[in-house]
Amino acid sequence: MAKQEKSYEVTDYGWLVAMSFVFLALVAIALWREVFPSWRPVQKTFRNDLQKYAGVEKADSFQIGIKQIWIPKINVVDRCVTCHLGYDWGTILPATLGEPLMPHPNLPYMDKHSFQQFGCTPCHGGQGWATTAEAAHGDKGWNDPMLSANLAKRYGLTRGELMQMRCNYCHRHDVATSGMEQINAAKILFKAKKCIVCHTVEGRGGATAPEITYFGDKDPELVDFSHVNGARTLFNWNYQHLMDPDKVSPHTTMPTFNFTPDEARDLTLLLLSWRREIFPPEYIPAPLEASATPTPTASATPSPAASPAPTKAP
Amino acid sequence: MSEPIHMKQPAVADPERRRILRLLGKGSVVAAFIAQLGAAARAFYPNILYEPPTRFKLKRPGEYPPGFTFDPAHRLFVVREQDDFHVISAICTHLGCTVQWRGAEFDCPCHGSRFKPDGQVIGGPAPRPLAWFDTELSPDGFLEVDSAIDVKPGFRLAAKGKA
Amino acid sequence: MRERMAKLWRAVTWTWSPESERESSEAIVRNLWLHWFPAKITRAAMSWNYSMWLGTASASLFLILTITGVMLMFFYVPSTERAYGSIKDLEFAVSFGRILRNQHRWAAEGMVAIVFLHMARVFFTGAYRGQRAANWVVGVLLLLLTLLLSFTGYLLPWDQLAFWAVTVGTNIAREAPLVGGTISFLLLGGNQIDQQTLLRFYVLHVFFLPLLLWILFAYHMWRVRKDGGLAAVEPIRAERTMRPKEMPATKSYSMFGLTPGTSVQVMSSTDLEEQDLVTSSPNLTRRVMLVFLAVQNATLLAAILFNAPLEEAANAAVTPNPAKAPWYFVWLQELVASTTVRIGPFTISGGFLGGILLPGFLLMVLAVWPWLDRSPKNAEGRWFAKTRRNQNAVFAAAIVAIVILIIIGVFLRGPYWKIYLPGTPRPEMPKVF
Repeated sequence: MAKQEKSYEVTDYGWLVAMSFVFLALVAIALWREVFPSWRPVQKTFRNDLQKYAGVEKADSFQIGIKQIWIPKINVVDRCVTCHLGYDWGTILPATLGEPLMPHPNLPYMDKHSFQQFGCTPCHGGQGWATTAEAAHGDKGWNDPMLSANLAKRYGLTRGELMQMRCNYCHRHDVATSGMEQINAAKILFKAKKCIVCHTVEGRGGATAPEITYFGDKDPELVDFSHVNGARTLFNWNYQHLMDPDKVSPHTTMPTFNFTPDEARDLTLLLLSWRREIFPPEYIPAPLEASATPTPTASATPSPAASPAPTKAP
Repeated sequence: MSEPIHMKQPAVADPERRRILRLLGKGSVVAAFIAQLGAAARAFYPNILYEPPTRFKLKRPGEYPPGFTFDPAHRLFVVREQDDFHVISAICTHLGCTVQWRGAEFDCPCHGSRFKPDGQVIGGPAPRPLAWFDTELSPDGFLEVDSAIDVKPGFRLAAKGKA
Repeated sequence: MRERMAKLWRAVTWTWSPESERESSEAIVRNLWLHWFPAKITRAAMSWNYSMWLGTASASLFLILTITGVMLMFFYVPSTERAYGSIKDLEFAVSFGRILRNQHRWAAEGMVAIVFLHMARVFFTGAYRGQRAANWVVGVLLLLLTLLLSFTGYLLPWDQLAFWAVTVGTNIAREAPLVGGTISFLLLGGNQIDQQTLLRFYVLHVFFLPLLLWILFAYHMWRVRKDGGLAAVEPIRAERTMRPKEMPATKSYSMFGLTPGTSVQVMSSTDLEEQDLVTSSPNLTRRVMLVFLAVQNATLLAAILFNAPLEEAANAAVTPNPAKAPWYFVWLQELVASTTVRIGPFTISGGFLGGILLPGFLLMVLAVWPWLDRSPKNAEGRWFAKTRRNQNAVFAAAIVAIVILIIIGVFLRGPYWKIYLPGTPRPEMPKVF
């Protein structure tokens, strides 16, 4: 028995030792990957920049770690700011820092759309939960991609123009909004071409054509792409449908409006912006006067700043 | 079968080497196990908190009227004297209720503590004066408060009030 | 001082490196954790080739799942609004959360596979004969519990897969005759899949099913002891006893005293000889540690290399296309999709035929197989005995059929459940942008 038992002991022990080394190696690898995330070097660079531009005290008070903007009212958890650290340092850090550290551009409407109240993803899209770049910008498995310049270029738009689609989630009932030129033009066009003679929007309109109140929520699979050129996207379908309704939906009763490409693009942005987004009342701007031409800051929409309750418009 | 037994033995014939290898093996498992325990302990330490941050922005200085303005969301008072600002906590130092500003003093509705306008205790069970919070002007022009950092009473932040 | 330290060390570790046969026996019998092992174990049972230690691997996987599962419970929130976010938090914001979740997921999928292979091994070695039949039935129950644990588990992330898999699963349950509606109503906690469903599945998954599984596992191990160890010992025992002999009954036990008829006999092992046996401490203990470590390494490696999938957040308005069950259920989905029978005006739903009747029948046959087996006694305890050829062939054919269905379901089914052979392009699924 001793001899055979020895053979168990020897072979088993050999394997046990080998497995033990493998175990240690695997645990070390697992720990390594978690202890050195991709955002850490970005934050270290930011701390150096802070020291250079804002002084040692500010740099010392900067803490390395995951950062997030949490807005439970609109279900926003945005960890973009773990890498995009300069977002509110516009008065001190220069734009030359480049992405991701550069400050957010100081656009005219930033006053009324503070980071504390909106976060990042309501305007930019993407996956706020993520702390890696690929996941945050919306990879496979996330159906709300970040509206990047590349994505916009695919449709002949700039990023700012494409983003107006998201602005309209809240500004849907504005007659016109400064900074949303494409959507404004589309709203004028929508009224001028009398689309609601056939289509129903929010309870008003004709019944000869499908209701389009929430066109942006339409399931792309339920749409016929057999006559659509290029990528099978709802955007493409809509654009080509507006340019030539009969080609995309044969035997349709929709007339051809001879839109210019810009007009069709604007209208597509408008239609895709009509979604069932639910915002608390303080996020919905009071509508402008019907005849108003948009003026930059003297609008009726008050400044929300950090506290939620806006003052009523006069 | 006259083959000597040692031909069937494994490559590790040297018992000392075997002992060291086994020791290393046991050490590896122990080390890996401890490392895993350490990782588990670290995992329980939250990296993000679903809580309002202790450092937050208020409104722009120009939006505050002169005198004492109560901010219920953050449980504090913003005090403006011309262009000087300071922030006093509204949390009673007795047992944590929110005190009220009564024009000349702070009164706590829970157990009757009373405080002077600068937070010092006039009467009641409060053991300490109301805290003054560290206040700065953020780079983009908002009052920024850090409720985790106390400053001495008498602190003033000079901020040109914007129209 | 050194001597005292050495003595202390010896006092703590003598169990694992006994220095005499007596110490070896005492190490097992006097130890709370080890006393469910026999003091000595047959060399036949120690063989890698016989059992491949699949049972030990299954138990190791379940231990890993229990530990990782309890840790996950500190982070996961069983609320329809917050479940998805809590999983995202695990992946991105909790230190080591990604590894933790991955290890749990891959150990779960591994356990389904290993448990199934273990069952196949027991079948092919005829190790369910005679009084081991009771343990076989317990094993079938353990398999069922494993599958149920997996099913309740992947609802919890509340993503598209979770939501629609439970939709299909509970609709199959509804097809059961007479009780189907009630079962579905109880499972869902209502008529729709919503918060109460998530909560029920959560409690089932973290408490009831694991508890049941641990209890049945304990019974499973107890029965192995009382049945005289692994069936591999039977051919040796037969060899040692040249003539058939009545086994002396030394003790009798039954569980709760409820078993009717003859009670369980503890097989006396006096017919085995010294050459057949080795001490459990350290041989068996060392081997079990080795198997556990190997399994732990495998799951950790998988956790490092592969991310557990997570689809989009559950959306009751949009069914993913195609909506596929996880691989170990996709063969059922294939059955359910293809067994709807229309005879004249009557339609029998595939949900019933392929989802309840056929799997139920298979399960029943599996459970009673020991009593259908007519092969001679010498066929047990070894692989592919000639006298078992027919039943082994039937079992193997069933496995092959299931594997083929799994391959079809996983690799060949595309949108709208159409077949797409490898090489044929799949249609591009439309997106918004």
